[in-house]
Amino acid sequence: MNLPTVQFTKEQEVFREEVRAFLQGELQKGTFQTKCDSWLSGSDPGFSKLIAEQGWIGMTWPKEYGGAERSSIDRYILTEEFLAIGAPVAAHWFADRQTGPLLLRFGTDYQKNFFLPQIVKGECFFAIGLSEPNSGSDLASVRTKAEKVEGGWIVNGAKTWTSNAQDAHYMVTLVRTEPVSEKKHQGLSQLIINLKSEGVTITPIRYLTGEHHFNDVFFDNVFVPDEMVVGTLGNGWAQGLAELAYERSGPERILSTFPLLNEALEELKRQQDFEGLTEASKLIAELWSLRNLSIGVAKVLEEGGEVSVPAALVKSIGTKFEQKIPEVVRLLLNVYPQLQADRALDRYLAESTLHAPGFTIRGGTSEVLYGIIAKGVLAG
Amino acid sequence: MSEMKDMIIEVVERIFKEKVEKETVDLLEANQWAEDVWQLLLENEIQQVAVKEEHGGAGGDYEDLFHLYRLVGKYAVPVPFIEHTLANLVLDIANIQPQTELSTVHLVTKPLDMADGKVSGSLQHVPWARYAKKLVTLATEQGKQSLILLDLKDASIENHTNLAAEPRDRLQFTDAKILASQPLTDEQHEFLTKLQTAATVSKMAGAIDRAFELSVQFSKEREQFGRPIHRFQLVQQHLAVLAGEQALSGAALENILALLLKEEAADEIAFARLKLDDASRIVATSAHQVHAAIGVTHEHRLHHYTRRLWAWRDEDFHAKYWKKELAKKWLHSSNTLWDTLTKKKQVEHI
Repeated sequence: MNLPTVQFTKEQEVFREEVRAFLQGELQKGTFQTKCDSWLSGSDPGFSKLIAEQGWIGMTWPKEYGGAERSSIDRYILTEEFLAIGAPVAAHWFADRQTGPLLLRFGTDYQKNFFLPQIVKGECFFAIGLSEPNSGSDLASVRTKAEKVEGGWIVNGAKTWTSNAQDAHYMVTLVRTEPVSEKKHQGLSQLIINLKSEGVTITPIRYLTGEHHFNDVFFDNVFVPDEMVVGTLGNGWAQGLAELAYERSGPERILSTFPLLNEALEELKRQQDFEGLTEASKLIAELWSLRNLSIGVAKVLEEGGEVSVPAALVKSIGTKFEQKIPEVVRLLLNVYPQLQADRALDRYLAESTLHAPGFTIRGGTSEVLYGIIAKGVLAG
Repeated sequence: MSEMKDMIIEVVERIFKEKVEKETVDLLEANQWAEDVWQLLLENEIQQVAVKEEHGGAGGDYEDLFHLYRLVGKYAVPVPFIEHTLANLVLDIANIQPQTELSTVHLVTKPLDMADGKVSGSLQHVPWARYAKKLVTLATEQGKQSLILLDLKDASIENHTNLAAEPRDRLQFTDAKILASQPLTDEQHEFLTKLQTAATVSKMAGAIDRAFELSVQFSKEREQFGRPIHRFQLVQQHLAVLAGEQALSGAALENILALLLKEEAADEIAFARLKLDDASRIVATSAHQVHAAIGVTHEHRLHHYTRRLWAWRDEDFHAKYWKKELAKKWLHSSNTLWDTLTKKKQVEHI
């Protein structure tokens, strides 16, 4: 598998500096505190609003919807800077990463005109409704049902593991619009459900840190108007798969525990620990290699190429790498992992250790991804 | 990347595919090399790629050359192509006339001692020295390093091999005459270590390409319990791991070549070398596990690649060398890791 190499242009380097200066400024002002895994566990609608004011939500989208028509590489740089500094970007994350591209590709004019400008302004957040109770990795086993009524659909069922539903306004929800046939992938559709609708109940599933970012979302006779069907009825599976490519290959599959690695290296430098730096170099070489691959996928995505296999590859290797960082760091330095620790290193280690098991599960387990990669490789 | 690249790559890959059978590689064990392949490469002027035209070269840049090294690794070609062309590339950079006679290069270990235009001392693990006529290596005189060209007639040569049966000879020089020399600055020396490392990374990436391909092919052909083994989830897991390491290694190589061409390769060379060290271990382990018993026999060609990976990872400027280089640099650096990775410095001098 050969992916293109990307050398950033001067303009892109300047943009990176601009983003970095902004984030450093906000960090120093105390607008936020650096956190590992901030793209999932750091939801701050106020901060998202601030990001929107910079023109940094939906920045690759067409200008007619409020976007800036910038390149995916610019967006890649922006995302990396958010993650490297551990900024709380979870509130707008899913709308920016998935819902926007989904609507641009499959949405109606009404949907694009209605949602995209609100998303860009940081006023409209989305959750992604895929998993269901007991569905696990078998996504096609969706049972949440939408039945046709006058002017719309009545939805009944439940979604689970829905990140950030508590702060989201809407959810792109995969539902069954036809009875289950032998082919489980057929008859699925994507509906946009207003989470403030009557009949929607959101209850938290607390993560093992005690934090709230997952939710159960229940639908009890929820009415969804016809204009909220995304794309083609019955085509939900194919549309959902297209979304997954955006979800799997980004910097968030590599950098979730980067603040810890960065801080560990600073600490080793402070202690003038030559041996420790020698050991740490291996992690950094891995990070560099993975980043090349991930940027290569971004480039292919930008050019409209097919990336499902390399994206699965980046995710499966990247998330293992994210998990490895806390395990190596604790052997290199004296640490005491504690979520409330005064010392950043101890705090980041605690966050990284407790968040790590989720990395290789969310967005497709490693085992499912291995299957996708192997099939791609055998077909090639 | 030069426009010639695709054409050269295609010609050379065709030669290797047709001429480098398993038996050809096995002959190395009996101390024979593929002279016919070497001749074919000569006839096609492949040894002249990336040599300057005023030095009788055939054009192309060194990115082209390193892509050929990847092919040498991919087919385990038993000829001193990398050594000869790298020797000439190094001479070219030092403004010494490249050699038409078979040459080899050795840039590591303790340099030879130089005095009054002569050198003495011994060198270990010199690739292909027994067949080569000339040697490009380093020598020191009063702490100053020079790149020198020697005649191998003046050496006493003891044959040794690496894990993959490739010639790695022991040389002894006593007051040997220096044919040409060029003093090196620290920067030039560092650049040569990078070039040598890029060459090693190239051939390792090639061997990984092939170990991966062989594993995919084997998993389709081999049946167990009534079905091809690629149908088993645990085999698929190995294939996915192999695909990942192949992609990472290829991307690492392409990235350092792009940076070398722009003369911007710094820590990246070390990162690539470290990654290939790790990838070699992972690939060899998974490829053997997929092939199971047949893969650990001499009958199957997998060992041509895994033995080379194990040998090459400990040769030249290896991972241990580069880890220390990185640590030394970071010890006194005020840049954060993120600055280093994203090359903040470049922006400062716009």
